[in-house]
Amino acid sequence: MTADILEAKAEPVEHEDTRDSRRLGFSLTLPAQLLILFIAVFPILMQIYISLTDWSPLDGISWWQAHQLWNGFANYTDLVADDRFWSALWRTVLVMAICVPAEFLLGLGLAILFVDNFPGRGFLYSVLLVPMMVVPAVAGYMFFMLFQSGGPVNDILSFFYGAPVTIAWLSDPDLAFFAVIASDIWQWTPLMFLILLAGMVGVPEDQLRAATLLGASWTTRFRTIVLPRMKTIIIIALAIRVIENFKVFDNFYIMTGGGPGVATETISIYIYKVTQQELIWGYVAAVALVILISLSVVSAFAIKRMSQSREAG
Amino acid sequence: MASIAFKNVTKRFGDTVAVDNISFEIADNEFFCLFGPPLSGKTTILKLILGLERPDEGEVLIDGKPVNHVSPARRNVAMVFQNLALFPHMTAEENVRFPLVERKMSSDEIAPRVADVVEKLHIGHILHKSPAQLSGGERQRVAIARALVRDPVAYLMDDPISALDARLREETRVELKRIQHELGRTLVYVTHDQEEAMSVADRIAVLENGVIRQVGAPSDIYDNPNSAYVAGMLGAPAMNLIDLDPDRPSALGGALPLEGITVPAGATKIGIRPEDLTVGYDGGGAGKPVEVYEVEPLGGVTIVTLQSEDITLRAMVRGQPQIRPSSEVSLSVANGQACFFNGQGEALSA
Amino acid sequence: MTAIHLENLGKTFGSFTALKNMNLEIADGEFVALLGPSGCGKSTTMNMIAGMIDPSEGAIRFGDRDMRGVPMSRRGVGFVFQNYAIFTHMTVYENLAYGLRATGVAKAQRDRRVHDMAEFLHLTPLLKKPSAGLSVNILQRLAIGRSAIMEPAIFLLDEPLSNVDAAFRAVMRTELKHLQREFRQTMVYVTHDQLEAMTMADRIAVMDHGKLLQVGTPIDVYNNPSSVFVAGFLGSPGMNLVKGRSVEAGGFIRVDLGEAGMSTPLPAHLSASVPEGASVFYGFRPEHCELTDGEGLRLPVTFVERIGARTIVHMGSDGSAVKCVFDNRVPVRNGEVVSLAIDPSNVRVFDAETGAAIGGAN
Repeated sequence: MTADILEAKAEPVEHEDTRDSRRLGFSLTLPAQLLILFIAVFPILMQIYISLTDWSPLDGISWWQAHQLWNGFANYTDLVADDRFWSALWRTVLVMAICVPAEFLLGLGLAILFVDNFPGRGFLYSVLLVPMMVVPAVAGYMFFMLFQSGGPVNDILSFFYGAPVTIAWLSDPDLAFFAVIASDIWQWTPLMFLILLAGMVGVPEDQLRAATLLGASWTTRFRTIVLPRMKTIIIIALAIRVIENFKVFDNFYIMTGGGPGVATETISIYIYKVTQQELIWGYVAAVALVILISLSVVSAFAIKRMSQSREAG
Repeated sequence: MASIAFKNVTKRFGDTVAVDNISFEIADNEFFCLFGPPLSGKTTILKLILGLERPDEGEVLIDGKPVNHVSPARRNVAMVFQNLALFPHMTAEENVRFPLVERKMSSDEIAPRVADVVEKLHIGHILHKSPAQLSGGERQRVAIARALVRDPVAYLMDDPISALDARLREETRVELKRIQHELGRTLVYVTHDQEEAMSVADRIAVLENGVIRQVGAPSDIYDNPNSAYVAGMLGAPAMNLIDLDPDRPSALGGALPLEGITVPAGATKIGIRPEDLTVGYDGGGAGKPVEVYEVEPLGGVTIVTLQSEDITLRAMVRGQPQIRPSSEVSLSVANGQACFFNGQGEALSA
Repeated sequence: MTAIHLENLGKTFGSFTALKNMNLEIADGEFVALLGPSGCGKSTTMNMIAGMIDPSEGAIRFGDRDMRGVPMSRRGVGFVFQNYAIFTHMTVYENLAYGLRATGVAKAQRDRRVHDMAEFLHLTPLLKKPSAGLSVNILQRLAIGRSAIMEPAIFLLDEPLSNVDAAFRAVMRTELKHLQREFRQTMVYVTHDQLEAMTMADRIAVMDHGKLLQVGTPIDVYNNPSSVFVAGFLGSPGMNLVKGRSVEAGGFIRVDLGEAGMSTPLPAHLSASVPEGASVFYGFRPEHCELTDGEGLRLPVTFVERIGARTIVHMGSDGSAVKCVFDNRVPVRNGEVVSLAIDPSNVRVFDAETGAAIGGAN
């Protein structure tokens, strides 16, 4: 009998309860699911259709008659050969590769600072969240003004340099790139901070104390307990930011219009310009579809990792 | 007519058989205890009675009628949860009235039922308080009142007092017994604490891995267990199970003489409860001396742990005898109080 | 190994005094139980020994070392939490190895020690398993092993058996006792269960409402409680305390117990210490009563608990509510009025006002 007690396992899963709750959950979300299906799936089907044609609104026919201008996969092959597309794509990936890690590290750093209570924490917390609440277009305009040749950034640099500094940030391809990235980091670090702080606060206090009593230093505890237990939250935060950042448009467009030249032209700006200026909607549909599929793959991967972590406890 | 009955009920969860072909009857107004180690099927049986689970095979009967297909809401069986689950934002009175208000009864119908249950449980003076203002015992009584106000056929409790302090547990189990006695309602009570089970129950069902090993009154099962398993489940420290010597009436190679005790045919082991294992420490015992391994004075009794021939035995001696570890003592069986078991662990009568 | 000295220790949380004037010496290698009901200050005391909270007043020394300002990671104490605080995102092996890794022990040695500890605690088959989802009984042993493997000089356990089922508790009590004997650590054990304290501790410190009431070996505290609280808290059931008034009778003091009748004369040393006409509690343990046909306290039986090896008979009510323990063959019935005889040498008297014991030990 002792052996049985010593090896007793945890409770088995309650199948009937889970089945019932899943059924209820499904029926409750059904109306919303149908709506999303309509709003999301229908336009995608429309988009696939148009991407296989050479249609433009100037052609004088309604979109559902675009089959008259069928050109098969011509748009897709054009896409592959389109240098401007690839450079915009590359530029977008570069932006993402700089912004997201920067936002993550800064957000993590802030979360570490905010995890323990200190006087004024509540107030400072609200202040730090403000950038996230600013309308992105407005943020773009703010940074546009900040980075003017006679603007505040140059004024501050002049102060430290000792002599007047009149860098034309937004007219220089490299400096403009830096400026738009700065605006994104400023605006979205708070989101990372918010999510990561929530994850960090959820790490059980007792486990941290137990680790301390076992002799673990702060960095050891951070590495072995805090970060592993934040795995799911980190994946969510990164997935959200990667997908959103990839689509960045408002502030970049307002700051630089994608320029100078195409120095800050991200994929969204590229699509917008091609649509507005060249009006080749069929082609644009193909481009947008390719982007959609790539981003879907990323989020599918993130969701899979999330559910794996959840099962592991 | 039995209040609750199970006929050949089996319940599976995936590959695990939680409850395996069990049958038993609970009489009207009985305090019936389901007792066993964790995962022996006790909670599953409660859920089958409540209707939260349906049997895969067999029938569950309440008041003589099969209820396999009756939903929990219509079965008229009430449950008092371990954490009592009193609504914190309502007063005690509102809590007690809640089940009837739920059923859309009119105030005229509700009032006398509530008054009846309030009187039986002596909670009239605390009705206006909220659960946070009540003591643990008062909260328990309000929870029971709420369960009973529907006038159920039976009420169920799943391990209600294990989370309490030791001292409070001892007092509350007496209180629960008194309440059940006064109310005269069938109570099905789950616990894994053998002393608690023996104290409160009219009858106990001892479970192992989803099977009922024995059902009976506490003293019956204690004095006449039908197997080594049941013998080991009741009583603490557990019954000592010792191999009988093949050639003479003794056990432990002569350390435990069994003169005057009839050993039934086919018996391979003798079971002696610690309180029946007499320890002679003044010298002059009939058997071979045995070494004392450990002495645990509990105040009112002393637990003496002995080692002999690779087995560990425990004796419960009254009071505070002066026995030292590593000293030698002699053993005997008090008043011929022993059980015998065969090779399969089944009890044999002399 | 280390002795622990608690000197005038106290802790307040805002306006709430959790602990006051705690003075306790725990010898090197001793197993001391801090025993008391919820909220008595035992966990607060232990958390201060571990360094989790700072004392509001007083000092804690390990041997000669004053522990003020020493952070918890450097106190060298093992701590078992009530909810185990197992690192559920790691395997059993990784949990056991955690402290060794964190303090830089080499892999080969780490591996050997983890396997030895797993062997000792019967956890070997589970080493590779994730610790999440394992049963409470296993997590308990894992929590102990994880701390014990660091071979701390001081081992602190915070109600480690409270979440464990009754049968397993008995097994774990024995294992913990052997662990302490084997490693000879100074062990401080917090519990509300007097049975655990009695069976495991070398000495018990009984606490209530932030105060240390009595310290001594289990049997000493059991036999000679210094207050009604200690008398009632130890023992299962606790000591019976019947309110009465002392009366002088033929050179000795007897206690008038109202409905129950008059007690037998108190032994000489108690008669000398108990003043006449005092309001007192007449105390005797449940196992020290006998049913008699002759003279004794007359009480009606109100409830009989037959629990296997013993029978607890509840008698009387209100101020003279009494419980007696007999073996399981005793023939009593509910409602019967019985006569109780109590050996005078087992009687204890307490002041009804202060609750303090009157008269010294026997």
